[in-house]
Amino acid sequence: MQLYFFREAWRSFRAHRGLASTAIFSMTAALALAGVFLLLSFNARQALRDIGDRREMVLYLKDEVSDADVQTLTEKIRQLYGTPTFVSRAAAWEEFSQQVGDPDLLKSVDTNPLPASLHVKLKPELLNFAAMESTAKQVVQFPEVEDVRYGAAYVQRLDALNAGAQRAAVAAGILVALALVFVLYNTLRLTVLARRPQVETMTKLGASDRFIATPFMIEAVLETLLSAILALGLVYALQQAVVTRLTGVLFLPWEWALAFVGAALLLAWVASAFALGRILRSFGA
Amino acid sequence: MISFDHVTKRYGERLALDDVSWRMDEGECVVALGHSAAGKTTLLRLITHEAQPTSGTVTVGTFKSGRLSRGHRALLRRTLGVIYEDFRLLGDRSVFENVALAVRIAGRFSDAEVIPNVLRALEEVGLHGKQTALPSELSFGEKQRCAIARAIVNRPAVILADEPTGALEPRSAHEVLELLKRIHREGAALLLGTTRPDVAEALGGRRITLEEGRLTDSAPPSPSPSPYAPPVALPPAWAPPAAPPGGA
Repeated sequence: MQLYFFREAWRSFRAHRGLASTAIFSMTAALALAGVFLLLSFNARQALRDIGDRREMVLYLKDEVSDADVQTLTEKIRQLYGTPTFVSRAAAWEEFSQQVGDPDLLKSVDTNPLPASLHVKLKPELLNFAAMESTAKQVVQFPEVEDVRYGAAYVQRLDALNAGAQRAAVAAGILVALALVFVLYNTLRLTVLARRPQVETMTKLGASDRFIATPFMIEAVLETLLSAILALGLVYALQQAVVTRLTGVLFLPWEWALAFVGAALLLAWVASAFALGRILRSFGA
Repeated sequence: MISFDHVTKRYGERLALDDVSWRMDEGECVVALGHSAAGKTTLLRLITHEAQPTSGTVTVGTFKSGRLSRGHRALLRRTLGVIYEDFRLLGDRSVFENVALAVRIAGRFSDAEVIPNVLRALEEVGLHGKQTALPSELSFGEKQRCAIARAIVNRPAVILADEPTGALEPRSAHEVLELLKRIHREGAALLLGTTRPDVAEALGGRRITLEEGRLTDSAPPSPSPSPYAPPVALPPAWAPPAAPPGGA
């Protein structure tokens, strides 16, 4: 890229400071909104992942199953589905007793009615409703297994929540992209109209559309870069304000922040190329 | 080099050119003389493809009127040097930058290519000492000389001048005409549109007369069209004089 185009972009920026400031303000607002949605999406994702990680499947075993059978089953489960932890009948009773707390109430139960169980921390790829349902259907076929529980309704709700959060993030992204295109299009239109005599003279001198458009595109991209950085600053300030009241709210990791800025710049370049193509064609000959 | 073949141009109901046929050869000097609204500017706009004929064909070098793409139109204009009555200088940049713009539009960006060409053109038009001035700091005559420097800096084969002395007082007009004659003598073809017979007289060359869009007087191009116009090749059409010393 020739230095000339950057000099021209800077000249235009200085000549139309008011217009550029308005554009930066509008784009910062739109991008900050996108940043807030991104922050919400990221934190919701983190929270759902933390909750999801705690999801497990409990396999209740038949009373007559021997220790050797339990050993064999544990190995099988480890290979196919995840990490099993054996809870004996005695351990289950112990845990139950602690949860109940009242010894008099426990005395009324003569024998331990609780079965032994395997608590399986499933592999990540099985942590969704469809996979868990299919896994449950498979493990209940094992002769050692009496019953399987995995909180189907809860898992289903969690999956729906996750999908909803993702859809909201995509919708917010599309809305902000459209807002950005709208702001850029109108700013460029006003900037080019303000410089119409210059643009017309360049056209008469034989300047190609690319020659005329490149400085405007550079200007648009630089304004978007500034807006994206300001927007990230605003989102960071918001996160810092929230984290004092609500612990655990994280700022975007640097990869997300970088992707956010990169996407904004890419969008600015494409939008300004599209806008300038239309604007210059509308100037006619 | 330039030919009009039964060209008619209408702007809505208004007839600007009516069945005009003529041609101009390399290195020739032609003056299009006519009253205001006689069709001179339309003639020039058809050559630069700022307008398209309603019927007939305009040919400039290898470019023919019709469905030229924007890219091809830009390319055609880069082979021409155009001088306007209102100068069309960019007010936010210096004389040097105004002339340099034409060099950059031609696709040359490095200082090594831009600076010597611009200084040479400014030297030719006598504006070497005004290179840092803004157009608002120049007299009308100087503005027109700056516009001429911009038109000649890329050594185009053809210079088109639309009433180049229209906004100038007699002394500046005389200087501009002398400058254009010199540029023509150095080999550039020159097509000048004017309302003033004295300008046509002073410039010499072949004269075509336009009246209400019709060509009323057009001598065919002679084999040696002008005593000042040796036949030349297409761009770079004419040899520049020696480069001035110094940099920007």
